Amino acid sequence: MRKILLLLLSCGLFLLPGVLQAQSRTITGKVTDASGNAVPNASVVVKGTKVGTVTNTDGMYSLNIPAGAKSLVISSVNMQAEEIRIGPDQVYNLTLKAQDASMQEVVVVGYTTILKRSLTGSVSKVSGEAVANKPVLSFDQALTGKAAGVQVNTASGLVGDNVTIRIRGAASITSGAQPLSVLDGIPITQGDLGQLYNPANGLADLNPNDIESVEVLKDASAVSIYGSRGSAGVLLITTKKGKAGQSTLNYDTYVGFNEASRKIKVLNAADYTTTINKLRTNAGLAAVAKYGDIDGDGKLDTVDTDWQDAVYRKGLVQNHQLALSGGSQRTTYYTSLNYNDFQNYIDVNRQKRGSVRLNLNSKLNDWLQIGINSQFSRTKSYGLGTGVGAFLSGIPFGPLTAFPNIPVYGPDGDYYLGRGGNVIASNLPNPKAVTNLNYDNRDARRFIGSAYGEVQLIKGLKFKSQVNLDYLTAFNDNFWNPDVGDGQGFGLAQTVHSEANTWSWFNTLNYNAVIANDHEVNALAGVEYTRNTSMYAYNRGVGIKDPEFRIINTANFDEVAAENGIAGIDDGLASYFGGINYGYKKKYLATVNFRRDADSRFGKAYRWGAFPSGSVAWRLTEEDFMDQFKFVNELKLRTSYGVTGNSNVGYFPELSTYEPDTYADLGVLTLSNPGNAKLRWERHKQFNIGIDAVLWGNTNVTLEYYNRKTIDIILKNPVLATLGFPGNIITENIGELQNQGIELAVSTPVLHTKTFNWTVNFNMAWNKNKVLSTNANGDQLFDTDTDPNAVFSVAKPGEQLGTFYLIRWGGVNPANGLPMFLDSNGNQKQYDHATKAWTYLKDGTTTSQIAATDRVLLKGKTPYPKIYGGLSQSFSYLSFDAAIDLQYAFGFWVYDQTRSTLFAYSNVRNKSEDILDAWTTAGQNTDVPRLYYGDNLWSQASTRWLEKGDFVRIRNVQIGYTLPKSIIDRVKITRLRFYIQAQNLYTFTGYKGIDPEANGFGNTNIGLGVDRYRPYLPRTYTVGINLGL
Amino acid sequence: MHTILLYIFFAIAVIGSSCQKKVTEIKPQDLLSSDLAFSTPERIEKVVLAAYDGLQSREFLGGRSLVYVDVLGEDIFDRTLYFGELSRFSLLGSSGIASDSWTAGYFAIASANRAIAGIEANISKLEAAKAKELIAECKFVRAVANFYLINFFGQTFVFTADGSQPGIPLITQSFTSNDAAANQPRSSVANIYNAVITDLTEALADLPDTYNDTYNDKTRGTKGSAASLLSRVYLYKADYTNAKKYAKDVIDGTYGDYELQATVDAVFADYTTAETIWSIPHNSTDNPNTNNALPMHYYPTGRADLAISNSFISTVTNPYFAADDKRRGMIIPGVAATNTTAYKFTRKYTDITNRADWAPIIRYAEVLLNYAEAQARLATGVDADAIAKLNTVRDRAKAATTLSYTIASFASKQALIDAILGERRIELAFEGHRFWDLMRTKAAVTNKYDSDGSTLLPSQPFGAKKNIFPIPQIEIDKSKGVLSQNDGY
Repeated sequence: MRKILLLLLSCGLFLLPGVLQAQSRTITGKVTDASGNAVPNASVVVKGTKVGTVTNTDGMYSLNIPAGAKSLVISSVNMQAEEIRIGPDQVYNLTLKAQDASMQEVVVVGYTTILKRSLTGSVSKVSGEAVANKPVLSFDQALTGKAAGVQVNTASGLVGDNVTIRIRGAASITSGAQPLSVLDGIPITQGDLGQLYNPANGLADLNPNDIESVEVLKDASAVSIYGSRGSAGVLLITTKKGKAGQSTLNYDTYVGFNEASRKIKVLNAADYTTTINKLRTNAGLAAVAKYGDIDGDGKLDTVDTDWQDAVYRKGLVQNHQLALSGGSQRTTYYTSLNYNDFQNYIDVNRQKRGSVRLNLNSKLNDWLQIGINSQFSRTKSYGLGTGVGAFLSGIPFGPLTAFPNIPVYGPDGDYYLGRGGNVIASNLPNPKAVTNLNYDNRDARRFIGSAYGEVQLIKGLKFKSQVNLDYLTAFNDNFWNPDVGDGQGFGLAQTVHSEANTWSWFNTLNYNAVIANDHEVNALAGVEYTRNTSMYAYNRGVGIKDPEFRIINTANFDEVAAENGIAGIDDGLASYFGGINYGYKKKYLATVNFRRDADSRFGKAYRWGAFPSGSVAWRLTEEDFMDQFKFVNELKLRTSYGVTGNSNVGYFPELSTYEPDTYADLGVLTLSNPGNAKLRWERHKQFNIGIDAVLWGNTNVTLEYYNRKTIDIILKNPVLATLGFPGNIITENIGELQNQGIELAVSTPVLHTKTFNWTVNFNMAWNKNKVLSTNANGDQLFDTDTDPNAVFSVAKPGEQLGTFYLIRWGGVNPANGLPMFLDSNGNQKQYDHATKAWTYLKDGTTTSQIAATDRVLLKGKTPYPKIYGGLSQSFSYLSFDAAIDLQYAFGFWVYDQTRSTLFAYSNVRNKSEDILDAWTTAGQNTDVPRLYYGDNLWSQASTRWLEKGDFVRIRNVQIGYTLPKSIIDRVKITRLRFYIQAQNLYTFTGYKGIDPEANGFGNTNIGLGVDRYRPYLPRTYTVGINLGL
Repeated sequence: MHTILLYIFFAIAVIGSSCQKKVTEIKPQDLLSSDLAFSTPERIEKVVLAAYDGLQSREFLGGRSLVYVDVLGEDIFDRTLYFGELSRFSLLGSSGIASDSWTAGYFAIASANRAIAGIEANISKLEAAKAKELIAECKFVRAVANFYLINFFGQTFVFTADGSQPGIPLITQSFTSNDAAANQPRSSVANIYNAVITDLTEALADLPDTYNDTYNDKTRGTKGSAASLLSRVYLYKADYTNAKKYAKDVIDGTYGDYELQATVDAVFADYTTAETIWSIPHNSTDNPNTNNALPMHYYPTGRADLAISNSFISTVTNPYFAADDKRRGMIIPGVAATNTTAYKFTRKYTDITNRADWAPIIRYAEVLLNYAEAQARLATGVDADAIAKLNTVRDRAKAATTLSYTIASFASKQALIDAILGERRIELAFEGHRFWDLMRTKAAVTNKYDSDGSTLLPSQPFGAKKNIFPIPQIEIDKSKGVLSQNDGY
């Protein structure tokens, strides 16, 4: 009825054309979506003017349009904008179609974003949901198994420990191989920023819940716009931004607890006593393990302490995130407040972080847009004051090896510091006492922010200038109590104040145009300057006078020392870059990128590096012949080739420097680093070919092959002694490394009914690497140049990087229980510690001992997995949802040094439970030789301790329940979800050590895969709420 | 609006170019770059001192060089076989002793060459006289290093009539990169001796007589030390005329007053007496440490690796070492703590606690013996002048009741020479001379005991292949065939 009236009215208005032209009038209408639902907050604007309005909650609008208005543009978020001509009608109703998500999905690459369909490079995108609300210490840990070809290993469960990220295998032999991380265009300081004994992960200062997406740039084409620093790949992190017309308030919280995810079994008190004494008596020595009279009542106290249980606890975790986002057409904002408290399962170990973020974006007028993205966080880490690992009271060395037949607390309630009834010269310090009485804390404040202005010069041409700042200041405070542990007898305090500062400034010109309808061009030119600096101020006090007063000054300590310095970072980068993306009929796509960088770390002559790349892609689905394959929605074939670089090469390596030294009483200046004026960028040449497909409208498949050769790797090259350089070494670009592999990523809804959904995301990567050459001698290289006997893997030309290099274990002789090894010729030699004699197994003749020269290169056995990836599945049934994430890695080895020390026969510390399998009778087949105290040769470094690390890990399991709309609407909230989750629930593996991902040497390339007394990873259970308003 | 934008672009370009300079040209705050090392006279002098520091290396003149020359001789035996097959003349091409000595020696040479190059490039920063003096010091260091290296790695000069046997590469250039010019073939022994003599002679002209500071005088090159060393070099070269000439200048006091101390152990208690001409200094914080310091090897409460052999003690095998010679007071028994009571040791190096004993390289007693030997060989008969110098040394050590030598004491010129060599053996024992003195006199090593002190090793003839070290195999490999290995290795 109303419609007829309106029609009549409009007809009537037609009869007054002249009057019409001169007057404004009101038009109305309703905007609906494809299902007939009203679209609120849709923008209705008269094209070419500022005249507009938004639809109300019913989708209705009423707009007073000026005379001469020609058309309306109606748009809404996530919907395709429509334009309709304004005619004489009064009412203009419109149906908006949802945007084809995959067609319109944008990907952040370098300094711009481009449409996913136009992408010619290899980029994996991980949505922010994968990292949000996961109980991890740092967001990079949540990336495990999420992107094909990206291997993320957390070295241990210690707060702040290294997270090693390897994209497509190792990118270098001795230089840094961690990818560049860029947060909203800001290159951020990362890596291990710990100053004293505990590591500190630079990425832990970021709040994971603020992350919108993480793009992993993998091939040369995607990376080359960061060419100079992107040789190991680039992680582009984008934080959440506000959306016009969508004002939301979200509160997310979870609370739960941590526990140790694995437990190595060691002997209990009774078995310990008998085993140690058997060890001793077999060697003709007196028994030393005995229960003692701890409480002085005249009776022996049969205490049985499980030190692991004593030191491990259920640590509380909690996270609270309040995020507000929204905005108008002009200004959008995203702001959040976050508090995260992660109490590790190890006593005392903890990380607390509070952070605040403000992202603001404002269109001041139609040609100027400005914005800021900023975050401030304060992270307090409570590290272990024992030192970690192999220090005697460290975790987990202490709890694994401390005597089980003594108690944790003495009769007076204080920590028990004695050795019970055991007859030995000294004891391990009480691990619980040391963990609680010593500390190594870090208080870090970090500001990461950027401010930009973007000007539209002419249609399609934008100029953007952005200034970035990453400022970190940290205060480390360490104390060793004079009563126990490393500080026993004197007491020690150390403080370090350190700063790391990165500022950068870039300017870009971006041109977008569509020429003659068929040619899409996106051109970029830019310049960027980056400067990184650092400093530290260190103080130490030794010999504390009164443990109550720990401030380091001469009143409180016997000796006070101070030292200032640069914390290893002092460099800068100037870059000039440009790129063109071209698409013809949206079918044939090509991209060319070029970047030219100067890094201060190289000498003037070799400072500049040029990094070009090119890629082409063919969208087959745009071709007519593909129309018959209706199930193929998108099929793109792409290939790329390019050169990227690496300048992560240390501190002024090219500079020739002198340092002060002494000639007895006279001071001298001697050459310390000969430098190398010819030192230049490490370069990677990468070839990539891949297929992206979208099938059946909902299944995404990506299959890629890559081949990357790294040349000019910076290595220490042994040179003639006649040159007279310290160590006869010069740092030169001489190594070559090759990586090739295949990646597959599949994402598909397996089952999709009205009530039940099941989606599977699967990715798999196969990688093979080979060291092509090392130095001029073709030497095999170790990670530590000083003692080649202290490491277990090498980089040898012709072999894979990190191939293990060990003496071969020959088993235990069932006849006599003696340990056996193979010499370099394969002869089995057995060792009898009673006579210190080595004899050949075959004929019993005496022979020489097995030595470092009998080490053999174990071809194909490396810590780099051959196949790795993840499998994520999500289910939803009515209001319930569930998700399970698996991570897997096959075809790699780990050297279990932890286990080797738990079988040491030459001390009386606690041993692995498996020592009960020791040989006792002739004919017994076992892999633990007869107990004989003092035999330190049987447990020496050998293949006995090299184990397959293959594993499948249930990384995350989540079950949630979302309150149905009917209930929520009543309470006027948009969303309420309850969930429970478990992180690191279970690991299926045959590996017997701490963890198959264990990595004792931190972020290294050759020496990965050594399990060397780092704590287990934690398992975390949480319950949480997602509330949206 | 467009003009404003143009201005902005222009401003960005200007700021950009200064930004580029600022971010790419960064100087380290905590390192001294090479150009700065030569920026002031004080720093240049310190760079020159680094050349001496190179000689002080624990693998070289800080102690080991002296030890090796004596381990190869018969006066000590390697009780613990700490030096492996060295005492048995059966090193391998992979020997660490050889490679460490080679590396340390060439590092000292390179330090000297670097200092010379730096001085020449920055000559304007120094006074002319000081520059000459510093360059002279570098040449002195270079000569010392070359002399010790050539005698370790090449047969002694008199092995051939003209010293043409293979020696070591002669390096006089400073290198700043992996320069192919460092890959030199082995020069002949004669060439190296010429280079040593040239360096010392040129240094002699410009070195000071004194630094007006006793410490510097005893640890750095002086005219006295250059001349003394020249007398030894010429002696090894069998050029007795020149050996006598340079020794005479030192004895006559042309370069300062040197004189013997009243007792031998006074020289080892204090290294800055008038008898010391040049030594390598150490102190409690800068010394070769527990595995390389001279006292650690020689002293019974240290490692006690090197015990005095019966060859030295017995008057049968060491006929000039009288039973009442005061120098026998420098021989002490071992101690129970190290299970060495059965052995004898020297107490020339005693500082086990701080290991601050200096390494004696040249002392006045040696110059007297150089002169005596040169004069004795030049003269036609038994020479009185030679006997006088011999007596100066011997009289300090002989018993009061023993008579000094006279012309009548010697039946022939050769007898006098033998007496001088015999005195040299005793006086300079355990100071790194014995084996090379045997070699330069074409003598064989006899009466040499194995590590138990009682089993005799076979006699090692003059000119045997393993009298010298192997060229380190790793250096031969790195040179890709430019260096050739010594025979027998």
